[in-house]
Amino acid sequence: MVEKIALHVHRPSLQQDAQKVQQQLKKVMRTFGRQCRGQQRLLVQWVRQTERQLLEVGQSVGRLAMGAALYLQEDSSLENPPPQRFLAQLRQAAQHYEQIEQQSRRLIHGHPLPHAKIVNPYDRTIAPILKGKSNAPVQFGKKPGILAEMATGFIFALHLPQGNPDDASYVPPLIEGVDGAINALERSRKPQIQSLAGDLAFRYDSVRQPLHARGILTTGIPSTTDPLPQTASPQQVLAVQQSMSFPHIPSAHQVKVATACGYSRPFVESLIEQLACRGGTHLKYKGHRGAVIQVSTAILAHNAATLTRILQNRLTKRAQRCRRWFRLRPPKPLENNKRKND
Amino acid sequence: MGIIRHLQHWLGGSGPSLIVSDFVPDDHFLRLWADTFPWESMVAAVDRHMATYFPKETQRGRPPVSTRVLLALEILKAELACSDEQICSRLRTDFAVMYACGLERVHADRRQSHFVLPSVLAQFRGRLDETLMAELIQIQSTAAMEEGLVSPSHLVVDTFPSEQGSQRVNDAATLYKAKKKS
Repeated sequence: MVEKIALHVHRPSLQQDAQKVQQQLKKVMRTFGRQCRGQQRLLVQWVRQTERQLLEVGQSVGRLAMGAALYLQEDSSLENPPPQRFLAQLRQAAQHYEQIEQQSRRLIHGHPLPHAKIVNPYDRTIAPILKGKSNAPVQFGKKPGILAEMATGFIFALHLPQGNPDDASYVPPLIEGVDGAINALERSRKPQIQSLAGDLAFRYDSVRQPLHARGILTTGIPSTTDPLPQTASPQQVLAVQQSMSFPHIPSAHQVKVATACGYSRPFVESLIEQLACRGGTHLKYKGHRGAVIQVSTAILAHNAATLTRILQNRLTKRAQRCRRWFRLRPPKPLENNKRKND
Repeated sequence: MGIIRHLQHWLGGSGPSLIVSDFVPDDHFLRLWADTFPWESMVAAVDRHMATYFPKETQRGRPPVSTRVLLALEILKAELACSDEQICSRLRTDFAVMYACGLERVHADRRQSHFVLPSVLAQFRGRLDETLMAELIQIQSTAAMEEGLVSPSHLVVDTFPSEQGSQRVNDAATLYKAKKKS
C-alpha cells in the first residue's frame, strides 16, 4: 500500500524504504517456514520467536504509513478522489496493523484472547460466532438477523451488523425496517405490529419493555427452556392484559393469537433452509457490503417465491390457519369457490 | 467485435422478432415469480441511487444496459443459484429468464452471443450498497402489504450464521480433508 502511494506521489525514497521492509518481513517468514518444515507441526516457541522478529521489523511500518499520508496531503497535483481513496485505504490498513499487533502481544504475554478476535486481517467483521454449539466446531462468518411473518415466512426486514453483537441488539433496527414499510403504505388505516416471537436470546427485559411500550406482545418469546404453550388459558390472558400499560391493553383474542404464534424452531429452520437454497448462508461476495447484497438478494428472491405460493394458495395448514387469524383473505375467493358454485 | 459484444436486445439482431411472453407458459414458475415484484418502484429506487452516487459525467456514448434487466438478473442469480456467467448465458437462450428480465421482444440472431456480459453485471453489483438493498426489501414488503397478501401483525425474529464461502482451495484445507477421510 505504502509502495503504491509512493509510486503515485513520485517519492522514490519512500518506495525504497517500503520495499526494504517488505523484503525483511519476507525473510523472517522464510526462516519460520524452514524451521517448521519436517516437523509437521507448529511449535509455540518458534511462533513466538518469529512473532517477536516480525514485530521488530514491522515497527517501521507505522512510520512509513504516516509519511505516506503526509505526502498524500501535501501533493496537490493529484485530483481529489484518488488521494481520498488512498487515504481511506491507508487508514484502514493502519488500523488493522494496530489491532493485529495488539492481539499478537497478548498472545506473547499469555493472556486469553477476547471474544472479538481477528481471524481475517482483510475482513475484520468475520468473527467466531460463539452461540450454543457445544457439539460442533465454532462457526465463523457473519450473523444476519431477519424479521418474518409467522404465517408464510415473508421476510420484512434484514439486519446485518458488523461483528457479532448480542442478539437482543437486532430487535430495534429490524422493527424500524418494518415501520418504514408500514409508513410507506398509501392507506389511512395502517396495520400495526401486534406481537413478536423469538428464541431465548431475546428474553431480556431490555428487549421486552420497549416493545410493551409500543403495545407489542412478547408472549411468543420464552423466558425459560420450557416449551411455550400452544393456547393461552384465561388466567394467562388476564396476566398479559394486566402487564401491559393503559393505552395498549390487548384484547383476549390478540393474546390468544400471539400465544399461538409463539416461537417455533422448525418454522425458523425452514426459513433459513429456504435462504440457504438461495445462497443466503454461504457468502461469496467480499466484505460487509458484499454480504449485505448477497443476503438481501436471497431475501428478495425468497419473498417473491413466498408471494407466488400465497397467490396460488399453496400453503401449509398451519399457514392457512394463521392467515385466518390475521384476517388475510385467500387470493381470488370467487375463483376458489368456482368448483362449488358450478 | 469489441462493442458488438455489449449489444443489447433492442440494438442487435437482424432476424425475425419474437414476442417473449408467447413462449412462456402462464403457470411457469419464473413468470409467476417475476410478476410478484413491484419492478417500477424498485427500478426507480435503483436509478435514484445511481444518479446520486454515480452521476453521469457526459451524455455521450451508447445508452446503458437497462436497470430492470440488471436488477432482475441479480435477483434471478439467487433464485436459480447460478453464477454470473450462467445467468447471462441463460438470458440469451431461456425465454423464461428473458420474461423475468422484462424483455418483451427479441431478434433471432445466432451471431449475437450475449445480451448482457457478466462483467457488466459485476459492475452493476459493485454500485449497490446496504441502504439501497434495505430500500428494495422495504418496497417489496410495502407492495405485498398493499395487495393484502401479508400482514406485519405477528412476527418472528431470529438470527442465523452465514459462513464465508471462499471458492479457493488451498493446500492446508486439502491436507486437512485428506487426513480426516483417511
